Amino acid sequence: MTKALEITNLTTRVSGYTILKDLSLSVEQNELRVLLGPNGAGKTTLIDMITGRYKPNAGKIAFYGKDITGKSPDIIFREGISRKFQVPNLYETLSIFDNVMLSLKGKRTVMQNLLRRTTGEEVDRIWEVLELVHLAERAADPADSLSHGERQWLELGMMVASSPKLLLFDEPTTGMTEHGKLQTADLIVKIAEHHTVLLVEHDMHIVRRIAKKVSVLHQGQMLAEGTLDEIVHNEMVQQVYLGKGGDTVAA
Amino acid sequence: MAKSAQNKIQRQPFLPLWVIVIGSGVAAAIALYPLFGKAYIVALLGKFLCYAIFALSIDLIWGFAGILSLGQAVYFGTGAYFVALSLKISYATEHPTRYGGNIPDFMEWNGLTEVPGFMQPLIHLPFAVACALIIPTLLAFIFGVITFKRHIYGVYCAVITLAESIILQDFIIEYQAYTGGFNGITDFGHYSSTYFLWFILAITVLCFLVGRLLTHSRVGTILKSVRDNDVRAEFLGYNVANYRIFVFCFSAFLAATAGAMYGAWVGLVSFLDTGPVFSIEAVIWTAVGGRGTIIGAFVGTFLVNGAAFFLSGVLADFWQLIMGGLFIFVVLVMRDGIVGTLAKWLRRRRDGTISQMVEESDRQAADRQRDFQSGGGTKEPEEI
Repeated sequence: MTKALEITNLTTRVSGYTILKDLSLSVEQNELRVLLGPNGAGKTTLIDMITGRYKPNAGKIAFYGKDITGKSPDIIFREGISRKFQVPNLYETLSIFDNVMLSLKGKRTVMQNLLRRTTGEEVDRIWEVLELVHLAERAADPADSLSHGERQWLELGMMVASSPKLLLFDEPTTGMTEHGKLQTADLIVKIAEHHTVLLVEHDMHIVRRIAKKVSVLHQGQMLAEGTLDEIVHNEMVQQVYLGKGGDTVAA
Repeated sequence: MAKSAQNKIQRQPFLPLWVIVIGSGVAAAIALYPLFGKAYIVALLGKFLCYAIFALSIDLIWGFAGILSLGQAVYFGTGAYFVALSLKISYATEHPTRYGGNIPDFMEWNGLTEVPGFMQPLIHLPFAVACALIIPTLLAFIFGVITFKRHIYGVYCAVITLAESIILQDFIIEYQAYTGGFNGITDFGHYSSTYFLWFILAITVLCFLVGRLLTHSRVGTILKSVRDNDVRAEFLGYNVANYRIFVFCFSAFLAATAGAMYGAWVGLVSFLDTGPVFSIEAVIWTAVGGRGTIIGAFVGTFLVNGAAFFLSGVLADFWQLIMGGLFIFVVLVMRDGIVGTLAKWLRRRRDGTISQMVEESDRQAADRQRDFQSGGGTKEPEEI
């Protein structure tokens, strides 16, 4: 079966620093993969490469067999890849309803949107997503009136609304309470039932709760891959993390 | 399903009732004025209506799409020049200059003996009007492609538009044989009739309706989303550059329309109508009226220009200081402009009393605090 995401020998240099070195990674269809690594390992840069924010210097990124290396973000989105930012990126003055509406999968060009009306089906889908992220009551409020946790969930909702094939989560539980983190983890598991998910996470609690296969990045290269148990007992991984306990491995 | 939120989401009507009522009233007042009013006020009305369309064009790109252009007068002025040139060339064929030539006076005293070949087609007004509308839009398209496709926006874009405006101004002054240079183009007949005023009024109403149509549509919401967070928009599949180019060209078309009518109505067109000062004035009218509200463009234009006219008569020595003070006041105190501030105030009254607002903000603060309460450390340390 074609892999959902196949990254081969990805190399990226910025201002003389090699951030990603010959990185290879592949994700199967419908898989939930966790990406671990200390700060500076290159996790966010990897996601930037996949989503087209920056072009790699060398290497190839294939999505369901199609080469998407170096394409622009809007085209990559239309291929079916949706990205959640570490700090939520929302439309501040627009209502929560509108935020989700604009995320719906569908026509994106200027001409197509000139005379477009939101269909009943689309409205139903928007309410469905809002119920999922518990924001239905606040639908008319502007996005900047939400608390931090709610903003994370709104962005999650926007991703779900876009009906993507691959979801990329960049530390989605940042800044949340324990309870919020667990709820988010459960939501991600639910989403992963029908989508391919690549999740970057720091919090070992969350990782323990949901991880099946884990990839560990270190200094731009793949350090180890395997189940969580294998990773935890891997000597190299232990060295990198200095063998310390703790659920956050952030610097 | 959350009923109250659902009700609020209900699409706003295309034109709320109060807009239809007040708008019709104002339009009727302007339409009827020439029948019994003073001629110089009629002249002002026509001018202000053209200015209002120009302000609308700025509101669309600035208030809705977040692009600040300090040189939008380039499109207004180009439109005005095409029409003025056409009328001047036609006028000159029937009214010879004192040297006996049948060409515009500024061409004659620059040594030309006949209208240059490339300008001759302008003698046909329909062709000139077409040029007045199409060429500025084309210029805007080229500018948009060069600037927005390279992701240049914000301050840098504003500076480039400013430069564009200054360049055109200098170009007009330099090539005075073709443009009338410093003196501009004037003396080509009087067209400020009541019928023309009605025409300008009709076009103004049309422009505002189309502006409302655009901002009320999906494209309008997308433009607002690009304004709020263009990174998010791009990562949700929208080609941000294309949307900016679209609204910029649309705005240029409106500005050109305003300029074309202005050129014919006022009877004097000069390099000042294409320059940065005029561009920035229009931005100020929009800011005072309220940007991001279609009506604000109209209100701001008439208010500021009306006040300037009135004050310059009454307080000849101080009116410019007062105008300056007004601008500073708006920027510092009433950021949303007059219409914006009014709308906010009305919305607050509709949504709740002060105590409710206090309660609401307390609740939000409590939420935020709860979210940020240390969830970073855990109860049981994990071995890795």
